[in-house]
This record gives sequence, C-alpha cells and structure tokens, in this order.
Amino acid sequence: MSTTAYRLVDPLSPYRALFRHFTLVVQMARRDVIGRYRGSFAGLFWSFFNPLLMLVIYTFVFGVIFKSRWNAQVTGHFQYAIVLFAGLNINTLFAECANRSTTLIIENTNFVKRVVFPLETLAWSTIGSALFHLLVSTLVLLLMSFLVNWRIPWTFLLFPVVVCCFLPFVAGMAWLLASLGVFLRDLKQVVGIVTTALLFFAPILYPKEMVPAQYRLLMDLNPLTVIAEASQDVLVWGQQPQWAELAVYAAVSCLFAWLAFAWFERTRKGFADVV
Amino acid sequence: MSSSEFSIRVEGLSKRYEIYGQPVDRLKQMTLPRIQRTVRRSVRTYFKEFWALRDVSFDVRRGETVGIVGRNGSGKSTLLQMICGTLHPTSGQISVSGRIAALLELGAGFNPEFTGRENVYLSGLLYGISEGELQKRYQAIVDFADIGEFIDQPVKTYSSGMYVRLAFAIIAHIDADTLVIDEALSVGDVRFTQKCMRFLRSFQARGTLLFVSHDAGAVINLCQRAIWLDGGGIVTDGPARDVVEQYLAEQHAADRSSLGERVAVRAAAQSQSSSEGRSVLAEKTSAQPEFEAPCLGSASSGIRNSIEVFEFNPDAVSREFGAGAAHIDRVSLQSASGNSLASIMGGELVDLTIEATAVARIESPIFGFYVKDRLGQQLFGDNSYLIYRDKKNAFDKGSKLRARFRFRMPILAIGSYTVDAAVATGTQDDHTQQHWIRDALVFKATESSMRHGLVGVPMQEIEIERLDAVHEIHG
Repeated sequence: MSTTAYRLVDPLSPYRALFRHFTLVVQMARRDVIGRYRGSFAGLFWSFFNPLLMLVIYTFVFGVIFKSRWNAQVTGHFQYAIVLFAGLNINTLFAECANRSTTLIIENTNFVKRVVFPLETLAWSTIGSALFHLLVSTLVLLLMSFLVNWRIPWTFLLFPVVVCCFLPFVAGMAWLLASLGVFLRDLKQVVGIVTTALLFFAPILYPKEMVPAQYRLLMDLNPLTVIAEASQDVLVWGQQPQWAELAVYAAVSCLFAWLAFAWFERTRKGFADVV
Repeated sequence: MSSSEFSIRVEGLSKRYEIYGQPVDRLKQMTLPRIQRTVRRSVRTYFKEFWALRDVSFDVRRGETVGIVGRNGSGKSTLLQMICGTLHPTSGQISVSGRIAALLELGAGFNPEFTGRENVYLSGLLYGISEGELQKRYQAIVDFADIGEFIDQPVKTYSSGMYVRLAFAIIAHIDADTLVIDEALSVGDVRFTQKCMRFLRSFQARGTLLFVSHDAGAVINLCQRAIWLDGGGIVTDGPARDVVEQYLAEQHAADRSSLGERVAVRAAAQSQSSSEGRSVLAEKTSAQPEFEAPCLGSASSGIRNSIEVFEFNPDAVSREFGAGAAHIDRVSLQSASGNSLASIMGGELVDLTIEATAVARIESPIFGFYVKDRLGQQLFGDNSYLIYRDKKNAFDKGSKLRARFRFRMPILAIGSYTVDAAVATGTQDDHTQQHWIRDALVFKATESSMRHGLVGVPMQEIEIERLDAVHEIHG
C-alpha cells in the first residue's frame, strides 16, 4: 500500500487522504454502520427507529408538556419538535465524531503497530458513518414535516451544501482529538462535557433572539451556530441560508482542517511509542 | 548493480525505543524541546531510551530465502517491523522493492471486532488489492484458511490457531513479492503447518522470503541463508546450516553459564570450512572400494543401499564446543561383523564408537550422537543416559573411555550424511556438553531403494495375500 507522505503545505491534503483511500473509507464506514446493530433483531432498522422515537419523545416532552414555542410565530407542538430536530442532528453529527475521535487511535492499536494503515482515513470513515445517520435522521425530519405541513420546502436540496461547509471542521476536529487523545487520556471526559455544552449554547433548543445581547458573542463563537441556523433555514423555514456567513464559515473550516491534518501527520510518528 | 536485483536493502539501521512514563510525556517531547531551544533554556528529554537495534546492514536478493535467528529480545521483531514499515527507524535506510506482506506475531493487523470476512476485505485493501479482485479471490482464501463458519464471526472469538490460519490465507493470496513470516506458524496444527510449508516452498520459486523461527530445523530446512541477531546487532550472516548450528552451540553455552559452568565455543574462525570440503579431504585417505551386501530383510529383492563412510579426521573438525572436561579422540562407524570397512549397508547392524579422554575427573558421562542429513535435520540419535542412569561411575583424569552404540542402520536416501558426537555430564534434561563435535563423521549413501520419507526401515517381510474365497483358476 502506498505510504507516500502527504505534502502538508498543500491545503488540499486532507481531501487527498479521502480520495486516495476512498474504497477503504467507504468499507470502514459501512462496517461501522452495520456493525453497530449487529446481532440485534431489527438490525439496520434501528438507525431509522432511533431518530423517529427521539422525535416522538421531543414532541411530547417539549411540545405537549413544556408547551415550548420556538417564537411567537411558530407555536404548534410538532413545529417546535421539527425545528429542534433540525439543529439537534447537527450537534449529534459533531458530538458523535468528536467523542469517538478521542479514542480512535487507542482502540485501533493493531492499525498502529501491526500493519501499515493509513490512520488519517479513520477520521473520514468515522464521519462517513455519522453522515449515514444524519441522512436517515434528515429523512425522518422531512417525512414528519410533510405529515404536519403537507409540504416540504424545496430548499432542503441545499442541505448537502450546508453539510459540506461543516465537514472540514468536523474532520479537522477528528484529527486534532484523535492525535491528542493518544497522549492526553483525560481528553475523552473533557470532550464529552464540551459537546454537551455546545448543544446548550447553540440556537438549537431556542432561537438566537432569546439570548440576551451581552451573551450573543458567546453563541457566535460556537462552531455549531452557523450550521445549525443554516440547517433550520433550508429544512424548516424554506429560506436560503445566510450565504456570506456560510462562505466565511467554510473558509475557516477548511483552514482548520488543513492545520489539524498537518498536526495529525506530524504527531503520528509518536503513536506507536505510547499506544 | 541495479536496485531491482535486491528485494530488501538495509543500511546502517538503528532503532531506539523511547520509553515514556506517561503518554503525555510523548507530547511534551514533540513540542517542548523546540520551545526550550528557542528561548535558550536547557533542553530536557522526557523518555528513557532503549536501543533495540544498532547499525544493522544486509541485503536480500530477489528470490532468496533468509532465516533470522536469535534469542527473545535480540531485535528480530523490531527489524521485521521496520522492514514492513510499521515502525520508523531512528536512523539508517531501508528499501523494499515490490509488495511486501507480513505475518508478524499473533494478530497481524486484524480488527478484532470485525468478522473474518470483513478482515479479509480490509487486509486486502490495505495490501492494495481492488475490491473486485478480492471478490474473485475470496473463496480461495476461505478454502485455504478452512475455518468453517467462523469466517462470519468476529475475529475476537477466534482461537489463536484460527487467527493465524486466516492471516496466512490472506497473505498467501495477495501476490506478494516478499513474505515475512514471524514464528506465527507454530500456533497452527500439524496439518495446517504442513500446508503453509508447502505454500512457502512453492512461493520460494517466485518470491523472496524472510523467515523467523525458534525451530532450528525449520530454518535449516527452508532457508539457504541465515542471519543471527543478538543484542541488536548481526553476529553472523552466512549459510543457514552453519549459522544455526553456531547459534545453537552458543545457546547451550549460555544456558550452562547461567548455571555456573563454562562451555567454550570454538569455531568462528573456521566457519567457512564446509562439510563438503572436509569429506573430500577424508576421501583421499580412506575411500575404499564399495562393499556391497544385500540388505537384511530385502535380501532376495536384490535392492541395495550402500553407504560409504569417511574416516574421522580430528584435524578437520570444523566446529566443536564444550566445557572441556572430556575430549573426543575418535569417532568411527563400522559394520557389527567387525569388518573395519569404510562402507556399510543400509539395514545392516553397525557399531558407532566414540572414544574419549577425561581431561579432568568426570562423573557419570553421557555419550551421545545424532545422524543428520544434508540439510542438517536430525534424523535419529541416541545417548547412553538411560542405560547408565542408575550406575554412578566416576573417571579420573586421563582415563580413556569408549562408548559403543550398536544399531541397525536405516535405509538412507542417496545423499551425504553427518554424525555429531558428544560427551556430556549431568542428566538427560540438565546436562553440560563437555565436548561436542559437529559433523564428526561423514558418510554417503550412493545407491538406494528409498523413495519416500527421511529414512527407511528395513522390512522384515512384505507379502500380498488374497483374503476372500479362493477359486484357483488353472489355465
């Protein structure tokens, strides 16, 4: 297998890692998706039931019991659940990747020590498996949205674009955490708390407008904010995302991925010494 | 010389393991010294070092089979891991041409959570085989591994035997140019080990093989050349048989010295003198016209197995070792009828005698011998321990002793054979070699009826009978 090093000065190197080993990434991701429910009776259907059941619970708890309203205009039980779900899926994608990344290398000792394995692709296959779950959840969301409103906004077609702006950031986070997780074993605990915190400080459970002005900045610094809002725009409100905002986000996201990838590649030599 | 002539070139290879007290120290080592340098503070190291390999160089030609021997911890695995690319050398160069596949220790690169099938695909992809090609070869891999329905179970449920079966089946089907096999085969059962050996033999015809094993016989058997590693460096690199025997002698000496006895190993200086060279030397002085007599047990068939014996020549002894309390003066092999002839027959009763002098006072000496074939594989041998176990006897300095072994010489395939002779003290399991002479005697089987196996046993009778009702037909 080709073990040629990447040219780290090349900002496209993170994506070359993906395309150079595409079959492998797809295989690993597929294995991960199938493996998760292996041996269970309903098998792969769980990846469909899971988001569906969660959506029912959100609707009941937040809609019926709390009588939560997104804002003055959006008041229905189901409406709140749909908006919540659109943002929550983004957090789930991020949290799943971030949390798994911290132990990605430690749990695959064999790939570090026994074979020449393109470790950098593990981040991509983790994302691949999380993307599958995002896809299923989004289908459930659109189905629900159709049943409630009898229409689906055409802008959902833009959702892949929004996700693509997000992915470099997620991948970068995966490389950074995967590398640091090898050396700092406490990281796993910290990341668990941080991903939960990011959920509550993002416009996912409530709209940005509800946040007092002096704390707005905090919310704007949350890397999930832009993407969560863009998702709500295209999947729920039926409007185009804030393109300028999204473009800046995409650029920063790519820069981050590049740096994190370079860090991962520089530190990987040390993995074998400590795993 | 073109680079393609070599499969593996290793130059000045060294590996320093950095041992970190805590994982975070590794991170500090990667970042802090750089900062300390820029702010001109003294640079700290955050690890303890251990040199597993120091300045190792060798080349392996395309198609060559090289065995690697050495104690545990001598650097064998480190070397192989660097050749396979899973470890980064601290200094030095390795170049490997073509596709290299490895079976390193147990659990070569499998993901324990994946099923056997998934691991086949994963490993195949890692070796650069396309998915389509893997689908074509999948059945062949499964047939080779022969682990039944376990192929669809997670690999973590496998026994170590199944693990190695699957791993071997994969590397046998990925068109490797170079194979690296590390002791792993010892885990399989006999049938599988034989299957692997058959595969390795056919592989030798087309590829390069690096073979690590503690089984000296297997190394001699399979490899033309061997490298002996010790303490991270190469001790000897040469013909497999010489290197392995030298290694074993050294091992014995080390074993005994740990018990407080000194066993000297003489030989390195003469390591180039091969057994062939010596037999030619002996032939001049003692080759006799072949003495031919019918094989016992197959006398009427007229099939002969004549064996030509070359006389013991103490000056030509190439390798000997021992603690030195006794010295072997003479070793001879002759027919039991007393004819001191240089030729004996397979199937005939023969006497092997070993004469020795006690250099110091010795107690309960054990005399022993091994008959080995051209490859150095031990065919048979015996010693005097069990017979004399209950008789304590001591011999003063200067006593002359003679041990005689009378046995029926098996029928031998055509080829040359050697006899190792030894005097030891102690017991069967715990003994000190006082004097061991490698290849003390050389003999050649020049004619043989033997076709299969290592040695033939003289048949007492061979007949075919008809068991059902006999209707004799008279023509």
